[in-house]
Amino acid sequence: MKNLLSFFKGNTPATVGTTIVLVFVLLSVLAPWITPYDANKRVARGHQPPSAEYILGTTRSGKDVLSQVIYAGRISLLVAFGAGLLATIIAVLVGITSAYVGGKVDSFLMFVTNVFLVMPGLPMIIVLAAFLGQVGPLSIALILGIFGWAGGARVLRAQALSIREKEFVTAAEVIGESRWRIVLVEMLPNMVSLIVGTFAGAALGAVMGQAALEFIGLGDPTVISWGTMLQWAQHSSALIVGAWWEAIVPGIAIAIFAGGLTLFNMGMDQVSNPQLKGSKNLKRWKKLNDELEAQRREKLAATKRQNQGGVSTV
Amino acid sequence: MGRFLGSRLLFYIAAFMVAVTFNFVLPRMMPGDPFEIMFAAAQGKIQPEQMAVLKEQFGFVAGPWHVQFWDYVKGIFSGDLGPSLTYYPTPVTEIIAGALPWTVFLAGTATLISLFIGISFGIFAAYNRGGKFDSMVAPTLAFVGAFPQMVSAMLILFGLGVVLDWFPVGYGYNPDIDAGWTLAFFLSVAYHAALPLITMVITGIGGWLFLMRNSMINTLGEDYITMGKAKGLSTRRVMVNYAARNAALPVVTAVAMALSFVVAGALLIELIYNYPGLGNEMLGAVAGRDYPLLQGLLLIIVVCVLTANFLADLAYFWLDPRLRKQ
Amino acid sequence: MIENANQQAEPLLNIRGLSVEYLVGDTRLRAVDRVSFTINKGETVGLAGESGCGKSTLAFALAKLHKPPALIAEGEVLYKGQDVLAFNDEELRRFRWKETSVVFQSAMNCLNPVISINEQVCDVLSAHNPTMNRNELQDRAGELLKIVGIHPDRLNQYPHQFSGGMRQRAVLAISLALKPQLIIMDEPTTALDVVVEREIMDQLSELKEQFGFSILLISHDLSLMGEITDRIAVMYAGKLVEIAPTEDVLFKPQHPYTKGLINSFPHLFGEKKELTGIPGNPLSLYSPPAGCYFEERCSERIHRCKSVDPKLVTLHTGHKVKCHLFSQS
Repeated sequence: MKNLLSFFKGNTPATVGTTIVLVFVLLSVLAPWITPYDANKRVARGHQPPSAEYILGTTRSGKDVLSQVIYAGRISLLVAFGAGLLATIIAVLVGITSAYVGGKVDSFLMFVTNVFLVMPGLPMIIVLAAFLGQVGPLSIALILGIFGWAGGARVLRAQALSIREKEFVTAAEVIGESRWRIVLVEMLPNMVSLIVGTFAGAALGAVMGQAALEFIGLGDPTVISWGTMLQWAQHSSALIVGAWWEAIVPGIAIAIFAGGLTLFNMGMDQVSNPQLKGSKNLKRWKKLNDELEAQRREKLAATKRQNQGGVSTV
Repeated sequence: MGRFLGSRLLFYIAAFMVAVTFNFVLPRMMPGDPFEIMFAAAQGKIQPEQMAVLKEQFGFVAGPWHVQFWDYVKGIFSGDLGPSLTYYPTPVTEIIAGALPWTVFLAGTATLISLFIGISFGIFAAYNRGGKFDSMVAPTLAFVGAFPQMVSAMLILFGLGVVLDWFPVGYGYNPDIDAGWTLAFFLSVAYHAALPLITMVITGIGGWLFLMRNSMINTLGEDYITMGKAKGLSTRRVMVNYAARNAALPVVTAVAMALSFVVAGALLIELIYNYPGLGNEMLGAVAGRDYPLLQGLLLIIVVCVLTANFLADLAYFWLDPRLRKQ
Repeated sequence: MIENANQQAEPLLNIRGLSVEYLVGDTRLRAVDRVSFTINKGETVGLAGESGCGKSTLAFALAKLHKPPALIAEGEVLYKGQDVLAFNDEELRRFRWKETSVVFQSAMNCLNPVISINEQVCDVLSAHNPTMNRNELQDRAGELLKIVGIHPDRLNQYPHQFSGGMRQRAVLAISLALKPQLIIMDEPTTALDVVVEREIMDQLSELKEQFGFSILLISHDLSLMGEITDRIAVMYAGKLVEIAPTEDVLFKPQHPYTKGLINSFPHLFGEKKELTGIPGNPLSLYSPPAGCYFEERCSERIHRCKSVDPKLVTLHTGHKVKCHLFSQS
């Protein structure tokens, strides 16, 4: 617990990022109780601007945007975290196995990882989805998870390799600890921060990927998610006819949630690389340094004046 | 030198073959008969005999699957990607040839511009660490970059295109002007590319900025930087030749990894701006179940990304003398 | 400046009451505390002490090369009478390398890995002599490499293509590029094996003979210092505790810490002697004691040591000690 709190201390990106993500999760969980209207029912005329009654306006088909965006969040978050989880699990398995087993297995796994890394994911997913027809949220989560593990695998493998070189692992091997135990007890606990970072990154990619897929029209149109909201907005030419709220609201929802994840990742970066941290200390140092410099210049100028004064009186 | 680049080239060829295999496997794996679906989607434009030709192109010839695969691969490498469904009977290669230059122009120019600006800003942010630029401008740019690209595109389209009407929305150039090597044509191309370019550049800067900034901060802690200062070299020389030259290396690696995302972004932006590139064609192909075109588009996109990766490898090789043979 | 009628030979470098602090959170830790000593023209002074005693911090502060969170809190560094610490940016830039150059501990880390050796020699030449053209620069760079025994053909190679010893010699060559009066060497041979260390030290002696520059040699290896230094200064926990001509320090050490240091090094020949180390742990700067910093680990402490910090006292010309055993009350 203490470790958890020290993570947030002085780490603005982590604190803000986590708060944002938690708020979104909370809103999604509480959706049935906090949404003013049924997200699927037509409640007013189409394209009503934001007002007291409909805080974020209504869509082309007269549904309340606020209720929609909160309910949509449930699906979008579920897919994001689901895909993120799947991608992270695969990344951990591939990365650690590759690093620990080494040899031909490592070469093969790295080849596969590099291929996935270099392939343009979105076009491949689009083609795949087109062949499958329409894909519901579950399928989207699966596909995004399967395409999203490569980056994390590479990073985790690098870290696992460096941990493996460390002496406590060699010591465990010499004692005769089983491979499984070594991985689970010696290595994994040291990789927690990187794994969490991988999860956040994968979830981030999944949010964007899902939105992109649904925006193109490959998602299930009967399911409300942020991406499908954007798609409907595009279809109803919302921006062009001036009903900016229909398009902007889901967009901002995605943006803020993605922003939260990104900030969280930045915070994790600072943990693993403390050099990036604390520009507050730097500011304080700069101030002090400048003061000391000024003092020295003052002293020099005073001595110069004194010497000049000395010459004239002697 | 040859060894390093040679092994990279082999890798890219292998990756390309993976894409080809992906294309081969898909129609055989999907629920239902792809050709029935295509036939239905074509709505009478295609005769059953022409369907048979299509089947052949996909490799659905007589024989076991490895014969089919070999046939398919032969077709690809001989440049035959089959006819497009929605543009029947125009061959896929022709459509790609028409759309490719626009996408390369858009994505290529945008990437170069945003890299240049992002890296320069990153150097400056690291140099003035904690200062106004680093603590205010930089995070704002990163925040803008974190917006989903489609949303940023819509906002810019709305703001600069519709409301302010500064730039045209849609198309690669004014259809009233004839395509050709004329000044009028080039100006029109530039004018129409403005909004998509602006969108891609603005959303891209933040990422490169922070990559370079963080890399610089790590590099600035090295001893050779202190030695550079101790030598009495100008700040500019230390920042550029000592710090940036070294800090750029991990950034180039990161650029290579990000290229597929850049391409994905370009596709989405084309959709929103109705820009006549590969992305736009892809949307149409999805709607019309034009599988040959879709697969052809995928292959060419893969080739583009792999080529860009190879260029990044070349750049890294040029920058880091430790990779060259002794 | 006013001429002093009975002016003695001015020291090349006069460090007066230099203090360097590290800013950690809100606390300022004193890594170097009011250290004063001089270096004369052509003289080689050794600065000895264990890791963390502040010797490197001091050395870097001399040319204002300290990095955050280090702060130069007080004191002056008078080079030929002028305070380096009060230089403006341009004066500092001109001073650096031309008057004082630095040889870093790890040659691999202090050489820019992505530019050629030639470029790294020439850039410092042209930064201080903007009128030199490409050929002149190249020729001079070749000469410098020859001086340290490296063939000029290797100019266009990169640091990673040099062996460890060669790299350190290249760094030496670069340090001589502008014929400085003072070279600060921070543990120049610590990262090298003994054989290479021997080569470098021999080379260094030759160059010293040839060019006559002063050296500030920082090391924890007292026996190495014995070969080449004229005087040795010993630091402990940021304070200067003893300074004297080399033979006096090595064979007649006065301060208990110095005695402990000397006795920690085994002799290669001669009868086996029992080694006495220095018991206890290095001082924590977070809670410095009121009295002598070494008191806790000292085998010769007296009652005063715990409550009063001793002053630096001069025994006979040159030999100074900071210890209550030698100061009258």
